[in-house]
Amino acid sequence: MKFRFQRKYLAIPFFLFLILFVILPILFIIFYAFTDSNGFFTFDAVVDFFTSPNKLNVLELSLMFSILNTVICLLIGYPIAYILSNAKLNSNGVIVMLFVMPMWINFVLRTWATRDVLSWIGLDGGSHPYEATMIGLVYNYLPFVILPLYNVMLKLDKSQIEAAMDLGCNRVQVFVKSIIPQSIPGVVSAAMMVFMPTMSSYVISDVLSEGQIVLFGNLIYLNFASSQWNYGSFISLFMLALVGISMLITRNFTEKDASKESSRW
Amino acid sequence: MDGGLHKLEKANYIIELKNVSRIFDDDTVAVDNFNFYVKKGEFVTFLGPSGCGKSTTLRMIAGFDFPSKGEILLNGKDISLLPPNKRPINMVFQKYALFPHLDVYENVAFGLRLKKIPVELKDDQGNLVYKINKKKIREIKHEINATKRNRHLTEQEKEEKLAKLNSNLEAVSSNPEVAYKYKKLSNKEIDEKVAKALKIVDLDALEERDISTLSGGQQQRVAIARAIVNEPEILLLDEPLGALDLKMRKDMQLELKDMHTRLGITFIYVTHDQEEALTMSDTIVVMKDGVIQQIGKPKDIYDEPKNAFVADFIGESNIYNATMLKDKHVRFLDFNFVCVDDFPVNEKVDVVIRPEDVEIVPVEKGMIKGYIHNKIFKGVNYQYTVMVGKNELIVKSTKDYQVNSQIGISIEPDSIHIMKKDFTMNIYTDAWINNKNEIMIDDLPFECDITQLIPGSTVDNDGYVVSKDGKHRYDFKDADVVAEVSIEKVEVIDDIEDERVQAVGEIVDQVYKGDHYRLIVRTENEEDFVLDTPYTYNYNDRVGIHIDKADIKMRLKKEAKEYEI
Amino acid sequence: MVKKVLAKSYVYLMLFLMYVPILVLVVFSFTDGESVGIWNGFTFDLYGRLFRNEEIMIAVGNTVIIALISSVCSTIIGTLGAIGVYYSKRRTRAIIENINQIPVVNAEIVLALSLTFMFVFIGTYIFHENIFSFWTLLFGHMILEVPFVYLNVKPKLQQMDPALYEAALDLGCSPRQALYKVTIPQIAPGVLSGFMLSITLSLDDFIVTAFTSGPGLLSGAGKIETISTFIQSSIKKKIVPIEVRALTTIIVALVLIATVLLVMYQNHLKFKASARILTQKQIVARRIKNSVIYGILAAIVIFFVVIICINL
Repeated sequence: MKFRFQRKYLAIPFFLFLILFVILPILFIIFYAFTDSNGFFTFDAVVDFFTSPNKLNVLELSLMFSILNTVICLLIGYPIAYILSNAKLNSNGVIVMLFVMPMWINFVLRTWATRDVLSWIGLDGGSHPYEATMIGLVYNYLPFVILPLYNVMLKLDKSQIEAAMDLGCNRVQVFVKSIIPQSIPGVVSAAMMVFMPTMSSYVISDVLSEGQIVLFGNLIYLNFASSQWNYGSFISLFMLALVGISMLITRNFTEKDASKESSRW
Repeated sequence: MDGGLHKLEKANYIIELKNVSRIFDDDTVAVDNFNFYVKKGEFVTFLGPSGCGKSTTLRMIAGFDFPSKGEILLNGKDISLLPPNKRPINMVFQKYALFPHLDVYENVAFGLRLKKIPVELKDDQGNLVYKINKKKIREIKHEINATKRNRHLTEQEKEEKLAKLNSNLEAVSSNPEVAYKYKKLSNKEIDEKVAKALKIVDLDALEERDISTLSGGQQQRVAIARAIVNEPEILLLDEPLGALDLKMRKDMQLELKDMHTRLGITFIYVTHDQEEALTMSDTIVVMKDGVIQQIGKPKDIYDEPKNAFVADFIGESNIYNATMLKDKHVRFLDFNFVCVDDFPVNEKVDVVIRPEDVEIVPVEKGMIKGYIHNKIFKGVNYQYTVMVGKNELIVKSTKDYQVNSQIGISIEPDSIHIMKKDFTMNIYTDAWINNKNEIMIDDLPFECDITQLIPGSTVDNDGYVVSKDGKHRYDFKDADVVAEVSIEKVEVIDDIEDERVQAVGEIVDQVYKGDHYRLIVRTENEEDFVLDTPYTYNYNDRVGIHIDKADIKMRLKKEAKEYEI
Repeated sequence: MVKKVLAKSYVYLMLFLMYVPILVLVVFSFTDGESVGIWNGFTFDLYGRLFRNEEIMIAVGNTVIIALISSVCSTIIGTLGAIGVYYSKRRTRAIIENINQIPVVNAEIVLALSLTFMFVFIGTYIFHENIFSFWTLLFGHMILEVPFVYLNVKPKLQQMDPALYEAALDLGCSPRQALYKVTIPQIAPGVLSGFMLSITLSLDDFIVTAFTSGPGLLSGAGKIETISTFIQSSIKKKIVPIEVRALTTIIVALVLIATVLLVMYQNHLKFKASARILTQKQIVARRIKNSVIYGILAAIVIFFVVIICINL
């Protein structure tokens, strides 16, 4: 039979690539998470993770940093996105571009610059690890909040806002009853862009707290560096599960929102 | 002798569809057993409502879709499975499908740049070179293999074909032929051809324009130029005028027709617009639900529609239920009309009368009487709605009459077109009886009179049927039966929540028949209920169906004694 | 009115804060003080020292090479993948898209760790040697980039009129020719943005590089260092060479130039799409504006080239 070219065959290298470098490595993680150093099946890593006060502390600390970072970024970023979505202040998107531009400068360089400036003003990681790390996190993740929020705000249903005004809402009421509900999908995706990456971030906390603050990412790295692969694997798997769960939650959320949107019309 | 004539005729066919069916993956039949041919140079139109299979047929001819059964012949050669780029056929797409990244010139030149033309190969002395044609050998071998695998041919046909192919193979592999090399067209040749094509469509000045800067009509012309520049044997046009406004459409219709005459190639045109089809075509193929309804010249189809669907779809028409009387007489509108068609006596038929064939005469001279209910001025004439009893009759006339005036109606015998009736009975051959002695049609229970299966029988307390003399008892649970319900006895219920509703379906067809509408209600399981109703519905309305117990006529598929207990 | 001023000043304040660390580095790249905050007098010395610092130059070279190679590979695989997946059956498409989403949402460190485990395993049990090298680094970067190329190309395929491909076949293209002549030109903007995104992802990456790199490229027998890993390890050793300030300044300048060009290109496209007809005056004004912008960009480039050449 002569080989006949079909467009779907073009996906074969892509598919093999994904199998080889996405699925297979995850299987390794799963394997290491439930074995000991001799390759025998065990729940050691699981038990260790949930009983070691150290690791639970890291979990608690990571959650705290993530929540705080998400909230602060949203509080700072939401007004910026809202103001920028007003065409008069940002006629051709240049200012949004300016907010995004630092993202294109090497991330380690930026973190190093932050560290230098912070220690210049006396907030060096040695004496103020929490403050320095927090500032570094917000600085790094703020653009990730502004962009999705800005995109949602651009698409706000202007007629709905006008209708709300027409029906007697004052500006504050319009904001609370129309703009905030309409921008919820943007808030959710912005939060997604910040929350999970903060938990697993490594460089920022490592550099800015001079190694004093250990977040989830640092914990995985430390376990790897000290050859505790099985523990490291389970923590990675736990992280992966968290990401999966948060994806499911937000997907449900945005889908519900979308269906609500369509049923209204 | 006969065969020879047939062959001569056949040589004139450019494309032929033989038993072609297309069944999609989800088992919907898009095209059902098509048989027809197109003569060289003809302008053929596929006409039908959306979803009738006309586009699928066109796509099969173009090579974008392949028949599930049957074969498509081009100049007598099977091309059913040939990819589109190997067919000498070009298409004008519905939304033009112009390449946005190329300008007008490059769009038109697209096909030419791919074309390779054979040039005779010559040696240094300028003599022709002869070689064994390896490509032809490969092709024949390929065809031999394909024939061996072909499941649609009988053993005998296969053998004959194989013998012929094998002798061909021998001939080709022993006789050297003039060798060719394939050359691309030169830029100059392309230039000339593009210029000529653009001139044909009146776009000579726009060569360097971007596609996005053209108007709809201009894009349309580029699409036509892009297709005809390749000098195809057949030009396919898939509703090409659908996106244009009315005025432009009318102009383009005439221009396309003119282009067809000038180019002399075969046009196959797809449209749902009956007027377009009537103005442009040499032959019209009317289609519905994947089935050809009628093939004919525009005038024949208009004057002699084969069934009520065609009559209703092509032009405006009055359609009535009628009964044949003896001696070319037909009775409808409470009058016995003389007609020219011969049908068996007492047969129920449909009658079609075109509005312009009805003559309004003074009351005393009319065959039947009526009054003008409604009048619309249509420019060239008036369109009247005349009430004859409780039937409506549409009449077109250039004369002016007052609304509500009494008039007489006269219809010439040859204006009365009689068609075989499509349905008189709903027949369900796969019905069965459930354990409650209800009949299951379309897997839905209908109450029925089970005793009709055994004349004079009764039903006892246990639900068994007892014969008249009490000697035999029958258990008809799961018995297969054929059920018949007369069209007039099926009742449509608007409120599908109503407790009398026995089945729910969508309206898939509606034809006006003078004083009532004929509806086809299709259930989810694809069972059709045909019924008459005085009210008009919309397509896709969901309605309920009710059939009275006494109106379901049924008979057993097997002998009654098989069910005796 | 007051509200507007407040809103504006809030935005500008935040923008200023975003740029403070970078601006400070830029300013202090023109002095050779031991750390930021110590002004030793104005000098271009750091720019010369930057180019004489072999370690940094090797890191920069590695970064650029790996970014280019991995982006080209990722763009090819991702683009072909997007086309292939788009024309596959719905089920296959759903499965592959879900797998493709994993590296997008997964934490980078988890991705890096899982790859490392696999490479170690393959090295130990199949090749019987350490396989960490340029190749493992390349695959590491590609897995970051390929999913994003896919996500950039997919919408372009969705926007494309499916009849275009059929029209190409109808006019005599083989399926392969139709792909080159019609499909690829149609999705080119998506392919390009996928490529650009790949470059930035690669330039920015630290974790995957740190985990998967081995000896090779400009580093020779040593582990391949990129800008990210070089800075990180310098910070760890508490001796970040002060020339890095000059490097940062140059990177900022390049990013700025790229951004301006991008904005201008977008405006140009928008303008072309609007098909507005300008008066002679407006055309001249537009030309002047563009020339001024190009002039400034050129001046920046020349400025840096000159100070580097003088100090080298």
